[in-house]
Amino acid sequence: MRTLAVLLCLNCAAIPYVVGSEGGRPRGVGPEFAKFYKDATSFTCISNPSISLSISQVNDDYCDCPDGSDEPGTSACSYLSPLSPHTLAHQSNAGVNTTLALPGFYCKNKGHVPSYVPFEHVNDGVCDYDVCCDGSEEWDHVGGTKCEDKCQALGKEWRKQGEARQKSLGNAGRKRKELVAEAGRLRKQVEDRIQSLGTEIEGGELKVRQLESELTEIERKEKGKVVRASADKEMGKMGVLVGLAKQRTEELRNALTRVKSERDSSRSRLQELEGILSTFKEEYNPNFNDEGVKRAVRAWEDYAARDKGPEPDAAHDRDLDAFTKSDKENGLDWEEYESDDEESDTEVLYAFEAYLPSSLRTWLDQKLRDLRLWMIDSGILAGTAPSTGESKGVTDAKNRVSSAKKDLDGLHKSHREHQEDLEKDFGLDDVFRAMKGQCVSTDSGEYTYELCFLDKTTQMPKKGGAHTNMGNFVRLETIVVDEDVPPNGKGLGSGERVAMKHENGQHCWNGPNRSTMVVLACAEENEIWKIMEEEKCVYRMEVGTPAVCGIGGEGKPAPAKDEL
Amino acid sequence: MARRWASFLLSCLAICSLVTLAVTVKHENFKTCAQSGFCKRNRAYADTALSTTNWASPYSLDPTSVKFDRGILTGTVIKQTINTDETVRLPLTIAFYESGVARVTIDEEKRQKGEIELRHNSKAKKQRYNEAEQWAIVGGTKLSTGAATGNSAEQSTTRVSYGPASAFEAIIRHSPFGVEFKRGGETHIKLNDRGLLNVEHWRPKIDKPEPEKKEGDEEKKEGEEAVVAESEKDAAEDEGTWWDESFGGNTDSKPRGPEAVALDVSFPGYQHVYGVAEHAGPLSLKETRGGEGKYDDPYRLYNSDVFEYEMDSPMTLYGAIPFMQAHKKDSTVGVLWLNAAETWIDITKSTTSANPLSLGIGGTVSTNTHWISESGLLDIFVFLGPSPQDVIGSYSELTGYTQLPQQFAIAYHQCRWNYVTDEDVKDVDRKFSRHKIPYDVIWLDIEYTEGKKYFTWDPMTFGDPLGMQKQLDESERKLVAIIDPHIKNEGNYPIVDEMKSKDLAVHNKDDSIYEGWCWPGSSYWIDCFSPRGREWWKGLFRYDKFKGSAKNTFIWNDMNEPSVFNGPETTMPKDNLHHDGWEHRDVHNLNGMTLVNATYDALLARDKDEDKHHVRPFVLTRSFFSGSQRLGAMWTGDNQAAWPHLEASIPMILSMGISGFPFSGADVGGFFGNPSKELLTRWYQAGAFYPFFRGHAHIDTRRREPYLAGEPYTQIITQALRLRYSLLPAWYTAFHEASTTGAPIVRPNYYVHPSDEKGFAIDDQLYLGSYGLLAKPVTKEGEVAQDIYLADKEKYFDYFDYWMYEGPATVSVAAPLETIPLLMQGGHIIPRRERPRRSSGLMRYDPFTLVVVLGNTGDAEGTLYLDDGASFDYQDGAYIHRRFVYSAAMGTLSSEDLAVATGSKTSAYLKEMETVKVEKVIVVNAPESWKGKAEVSISEELAGKSSGTRSVPLDWHAREEGRAAWAVIRNPAVRIGSGWKISFA
Repeated sequence: MRTLAVLLCLNCAAIPYVVGSEGGRPRGVGPEFAKFYKDATSFTCISNPSISLSISQVNDDYCDCPDGSDEPGTSACSYLSPLSPHTLAHQSNAGVNTTLALPGFYCKNKGHVPSYVPFEHVNDGVCDYDVCCDGSEEWDHVGGTKCEDKCQALGKEWRKQGEARQKSLGNAGRKRKELVAEAGRLRKQVEDRIQSLGTEIEGGELKVRQLESELTEIERKEKGKVVRASADKEMGKMGVLVGLAKQRTEELRNALTRVKSERDSSRSRLQELEGILSTFKEEYNPNFNDEGVKRAVRAWEDYAARDKGPEPDAAHDRDLDAFTKSDKENGLDWEEYESDDEESDTEVLYAFEAYLPSSLRTWLDQKLRDLRLWMIDSGILAGTAPSTGESKGVTDAKNRVSSAKKDLDGLHKSHREHQEDLEKDFGLDDVFRAMKGQCVSTDSGEYTYELCFLDKTTQMPKKGGAHTNMGNFVRLETIVVDEDVPPNGKGLGSGERVAMKHENGQHCWNGPNRSTMVVLACAEENEIWKIMEEEKCVYRMEVGTPAVCGIGGEGKPAPAKDEL
Repeated sequence: MARRWASFLLSCLAICSLVTLAVTVKHENFKTCAQSGFCKRNRAYADTALSTTNWASPYSLDPTSVKFDRGILTGTVIKQTINTDETVRLPLTIAFYESGVARVTIDEEKRQKGEIELRHNSKAKKQRYNEAEQWAIVGGTKLSTGAATGNSAEQSTTRVSYGPASAFEAIIRHSPFGVEFKRGGETHIKLNDRGLLNVEHWRPKIDKPEPEKKEGDEEKKEGEEAVVAESEKDAAEDEGTWWDESFGGNTDSKPRGPEAVALDVSFPGYQHVYGVAEHAGPLSLKETRGGEGKYDDPYRLYNSDVFEYEMDSPMTLYGAIPFMQAHKKDSTVGVLWLNAAETWIDITKSTTSANPLSLGIGGTVSTNTHWISESGLLDIFVFLGPSPQDVIGSYSELTGYTQLPQQFAIAYHQCRWNYVTDEDVKDVDRKFSRHKIPYDVIWLDIEYTEGKKYFTWDPMTFGDPLGMQKQLDESERKLVAIIDPHIKNEGNYPIVDEMKSKDLAVHNKDDSIYEGWCWPGSSYWIDCFSPRGREWWKGLFRYDKFKGSAKNTFIWNDMNEPSVFNGPETTMPKDNLHHDGWEHRDVHNLNGMTLVNATYDALLARDKDEDKHHVRPFVLTRSFFSGSQRLGAMWTGDNQAAWPHLEASIPMILSMGISGFPFSGADVGGFFGNPSKELLTRWYQAGAFYPFFRGHAHIDTRRREPYLAGEPYTQIITQALRLRYSLLPAWYTAFHEASTTGAPIVRPNYYVHPSDEKGFAIDDQLYLGSYGLLAKPVTKEGEVAQDIYLADKEKYFDYFDYWMYEGPATVSVAAPLETIPLLMQGGHIIPRRERPRRSSGLMRYDPFTLVVVLGNTGDAEGTLYLDDGASFDYQDGAYIHRRFVYSAAMGTLSSEDLAVATGSKTSAYLKEMETVKVEKVIVVNAPESWKGKAEVSISEELAGKSSGTRSVPLDWHAREEGRAAWAVIRNPAVRIGSGWKISFA
């Protein structure tokens, strides 16, 4: 325990400081701390009650308490902070609490909202009207500083703006409700769609099953066919060859088409690139000491000087075009080779079925088939060789199955997407669902900047020219901000805010891919307040939107100090 | 497996980062000695001379020409050119100044009289450049009245005794010509002792056929008499570098032919030499003629914009101070080689046995230097010490003292290439306040201008510069904007139109306007050698001319080497012509200073019409010369965010300190690249001990304002910044000392302990002013302790926890990331201001804390200089200068007045400062006898009378573990500007 002796003050330098302000509270003490300063003769440090001081040591501009509570009205204890260098003389009693017990100097701000000023600002010669409109923190008038009381005027203005802000806040709240309702509607849409997709999928699965059994059936029948080809080996080989050739030709044609389109796109990219480089070569400043640039230019010059190979040949291209036309157009009719249309004996046999009543036909058909299969199985009859290619019927059936499967896959995919969409983070109340695709833009410097919610951010030169993607939406995040709010309320304020991360925008020369952090705060309208390039190709947008009103302290009346 | 991958990736990353770090200077852009004709010739000359026994220098002083009159000796040195049988007359002047400085100047008669012919119809001036002194020398040239020629004991010498108590002596040897300087009978400096004096005389170019080579020529090197002739012939035959010289695609037309001057300067018995800033290398200069641990090239002085400069190199950098000191136990001497042309300095050391008979005793090391300049006069000043301060003080008297800066200039500066808009600046400003991080100045690099046109603002991004500066001014913060010497060559730009129409730009060799490339593209360069040019430049900074500038706008002059992107070695061609026909080669190293000079005058002039407002200018420069210290601060240019650059910053700044230009700093955080958070934090801790303390970053780097670092880094950085701010009274006093005596602000070991031989090469720790504050910033990654060298038998105390160390010793001090190794030497009193404020201006009326550090004697003292930190009112006596003395015998701490004289503004200032008091006295290593003592008595002198005595509490803390006892006097409340006494008895 340490008690500092009360000493007679001969020079009485401390007296002006001791005088408390009206209401019995010493200068700088807020009402919630008044109870600690009631005793008329002594004061005990708030966090260290074992240290007892004379009341004359309160506000005598010398820091006695390790928590600074004896100097609520001066800057004497302002050095008590983890931000200050610590010396032994600052922290004499190891283990005692040296966190400041008071939030700052209390400004009454009569006619306005009271607030606390950091102790660092007390008597530094600056009137901090933004937090202390009554100027009471400059009570010592250092260097002749006089801060008149501006609370009446500022308070009036604040209340006026406050009403407007309140109104706007109300509107914003309503808008958010609308957005949430819209989001709900959209969500319902998705849910409904998921449901109907479920039904469609069931149907699709059923269809696939049916078609598959049909296919099995057809193949079974097919097996039973007496195929002339089985006897005619040469013709069989031809059939295989034709089948293979057709398939291969089709594949080659497809590949050629793809290669051609890839070539065209590469060629145009190359042209664009060469254009960029030759402009680069012409426009670069040869005198910057950037060896990298110089090397790049030299390499380009070498490249440009080299033999480029043959120019694109129009005739050659026409040939390629011709190749990619269908075979029929090229005078090649596969069917001629495929459908050896003389009916086989078996088919003749089958044909007579047509004249029978359908029930009998089915019965007979079944019997015949069974018979044939028995004959094949017992080796009497040769089966239809599978290698000889399948009949049109089988192919068609197969196509039907695969197309049904494809449809089903599509349905599954759509279902999955909708499901994912449903699970995706659209923020509290799903609110951003309603904003997808909405865009806002603003002018800043020589550019217009655009934000398309849940999509991307873009920079567009006002003078025209290519737009630059500044990042694609990745996810929602929460970040902590600490910013001033201008009187019009268009600012982030302090605390946690919803932010949208955009990444992988256009690559920056000599830098990273562009990215943008969009930080949102409550406002009546969607609006970009501020756009900054914090460092090369890393942007930050501050955006007002009703979507975030009421989230994380947003939309509540902001603390007075931000509003003065 | 995953582990293995992780370690593989890590090593990849490590390799990548190594690769990044390895990016350094492009050597091919800058000349080596061998690529610089005159350097090559003179090095070859030295090789011949030094490899020849009985080498005879072909220079002699004509005894009949010698005259001595009122401190000046004159005569003619004759150069014998043997192969042409020609004699060249070289007028000699040796001046002896009252201050004890001697100056030897050699000119060339033919050039002096203009009796030479220039090639290529050049309009260049014919004389050797003789105006460097007009820029560099501002005082200390009062001729000695006591200097006298004495009777020479030896034949063919002239002796002059001079200096304080005539303790100095110059012995001028006639043939070969040479000068020996003695102090107290001992020789300290010898000129031309090794016979390397060389003045390349004018000669016409004779186109002669290639001489046929005769066999056996090379074997003739025997007969001694033939040697001189032979070597002259060798030189004559090597005309390859006499005339047009090409480098990197640029050809120098050299209209005056070869014209180098060179001289050897020997420091017998001196093992260490310092100076010839600016180089990125150790404080104690290395040898330069090859071998292990030595450089291959001489130290070069040719102000250059060196991109990504390398560590530990004699390569030239942005500025040049051709001032060298030699130091040995208890003696410091020095020379100033006043020459603004390209200069190379070779340094070698030789060991000689002091007494050949005393075997086993180590020999004496001597340092030999060889100075080589491309053109101009041979003009050398000789300082005989004996203390480091004597030499630096004499040098500063000659070239001028450090400007006493405004207080904001020594606080923290926040810079970045670039803050992109006025809103951005305001935002950064607000964030510093919000995070309670102090700063005084925010900076704008080139992007604030409209298309790199200086004196304009980009209307898109800086639409409201005045509103921005108004916000800064609300917390007494300032703006520094960059203005470079290259003026954009573009239509509708009134500045360039005016400069062209008034013909104020530098000319090319054909005497028409010189066009080169810099940031704006095609540009012209203001010629600040021209009085008309300077006058014009002065007008450009008026508030109505440089619209958008305000009273809290100050200036940064960059690129003033000058940097010319397409010029030879990134600068101007040497055959460019300046005002009055001087070639650029003659004045190159001065060029940067002339711009700063003009800017300084401009900042003075802009306020002339204003009432009361005449604040001290602040100009930061990258290029400098001897004398630039009068005008502002310098920084070490474009460093890198890499540990070796942090490490190198300490010797570089120490070197600036002992070179008379102590207001120096390195970019905190490193300019190029992104520092790790550890590096950034350590750099702030080191930066808190740079006289010029500025964080800066390249445009391609990530933002790194201290509040962005995150915890614990932001907190630790803020502590470092607040430490700097709390010690500003000490810093400001140290600046005042520098501005009156030339003393370094941060000081190397040898300066503080000139007798301690073991500490002469130490350059990684520094003392702040005269306060015994010894810092050794951590400059290596992961380091958590520092070995600090304590040179003297004295107690040292940890600044933060009063842990006690005893010198002499090397002690280990714990240095985890949050700690700056900082000790207090016993015997000092350190003034502090502990209340954290937004800026230094807002601390003006804050109370002081005095830290009394008691050492072995039990006595302590320290000084405090204080003024308004902004205006010139101090010249009218508006300042407080006190000495605080603690006397162990008397048991008193008292404040004495050091003010030299009162002036017209003294009393008003003292009245204004009446409320400023001492709030706390901390006594470290407080005597045991104070145990139980609860109060001390105070008497104060108020209005010339004693106030009687009063008592205030004393709080005594016993010694604990290794920590010293300490005591606090509670609120003595004595005025900082009054006399007072606190009695502990």
